[in-house]
Amino acid sequence: MESKKPTVMVIEDEHLLLKAIERKLRLNNLNVIACESGTQAIENLNKKTAPPDAIWLDYYLGDTTGIEFMKKLRQNAKWTDIPVLVISNSANPEKVSAMIALGAKDYLLKANYRLDTLVSKIQSLTITKK
Amino acid sequence: MIFSVGDGLVATDRDGKILLMNPAAEKMLLQNAQEVIGEDYIETVPAADKDGQIIPSEKRPLLAVLKQGKSFTNHSANYYVRKNGSKFPTAITTSPIKYQNSIIGAIITFRDITHEKEVDRMKTEFISLASHQLRTPLSAIRWFVEILQNGDAGKLNKQQMELLGDIYQSTKRMIQLVNDLLNISRMETGRIIIDPKPTHLGQLLEEVLKELKPKINSKKQRLIISYHPDLSKINIDPNLIRAVYLNLLLNAIKFTPEYGEITVIISRKGNDIVSQITDSGWGIPKNEQRKIFQKFYRGSNIIKKVFEGTGLGLYLVKSIIEASKGKIWFESGENKGTTFWFSLPVSGILPKKGDVSISP
Repeated sequence: MESKKPTVMVIEDEHLLLKAIERKLRLNNLNVIACESGTQAIENLNKKTAPPDAIWLDYYLGDTTGIEFMKKLRQNAKWTDIPVLVISNSANPEKVSAMIALGAKDYLLKANYRLDTLVSKIQSLTITKK
Repeated sequence: MIFSVGDGLVATDRDGKILLMNPAAEKMLLQNAQEVIGEDYIETVPAADKDGQIIPSEKRPLLAVLKQGKSFTNHSANYYVRKNGSKFPTAITTSPIKYQNSIIGAIITFRDITHEKEVDRMKTEFISLASHQLRTPLSAIRWFVEILQNGDAGKLNKQQMELLGDIYQSTKRMIQLVNDLLNISRMETGRIIIDPKPTHLGQLLEEVLKELKPKINSKKQRLIISYHPDLSKINIDPNLIRAVYLNLLLNAIKFTPEYGEITVIISRKGNDIVSQITDSGWGIPKNEQRKIFQKFYRGSNIIKKVFEGTGLGLYLVKSIIEASKGKIWFESGENKGTTFWFSLPVSGILPKKGDVSISP
């Protein structure tokens, strides 16, 4: 079992980006649950007994938005403590403050960051949680 | 004439009582022109602010116009309330009617701007959506290049690394272009939030420099900073002015060769605080100097030396300074260097509501 490695759930509707993120996270010794939609993510969370150590969340998902997803996440006591990092290419102040108010740890603009940097940010979230 | 114009028109006497209402106004407000004559305009036609709250009568411009004799135009999203209680967004101009130097009444003209507002909203939404759409494939290119550069997919030879470096640079430039265009469209549409906070410009400068230190060090440039520690705080939007320092300093670093010198001085001059950014760089050719604040302008002398840059930075800087009630000017000599100065009023600026802020 790979149970000692922290697990990151990545929710990103853009297939190629998801592929890049997943690859990089695995290279950094993290387990990855890759989800291409909000529905898939919720289904996955429902299936697992142990919640992931952190969630990497895009804002615009095919079937939902970051806000809707966060609200769902906050409704279930088992999921409320999962640290969420929002990484989106659309970041107006309203969205950012709404997401932070819902408990997101940070809201970063995708195109402005190196993948390495984002990976170490999510990595540090999985550690602080422990 | 008054009866055939398409805009709403109402005339009042000097007490604000309605003398006349044209058919266009009748139609928009659902009022009866005959019945409202002699009625108080402010009471008959309530106005609401951006959030739909009824504006108290003492804050309605009509009173000030009747008292001071200056006309008043609202460009903000004010609403008029129709007789049936419904609201519509409207652009209103209130002007005094003067006779032999005394104010004898006022003319209020207005039109329904529901359609304009809708178009404006669609435009903003389109810009935001388009930039989001462009950033997605750009992020993918950037990240996959990084994966290759890191050797995550196998070791690359020197030539391959060099070519990847070129792709990376172009991608980052494209990302910057999208960011700059987005910021510019935000400034141009006037939808930018201006959120002034008491700011110590020296401290703001230090924050920006901290970010830029690696770039300055890698070019082995000398940095001289001077500002009075007791510089008074001024009420400006730190986010916007940060973008000004960032752009001007990035230019100074980019357009100054290795071992060059960059000087930043902040000082108070009368009612302004003036920031000066001097470099010992390649300068701007004399015959191009009138063009430097134009969109997409890049100096002909540096275009082959410096590959980064969008030609949008100074345009953005100028828009921000003007929105902050300041001024910007410069002096430059080819192969001598360039100095930019910008001033900001010590009195600070007023906040402005909007729905977007500047992105890095």
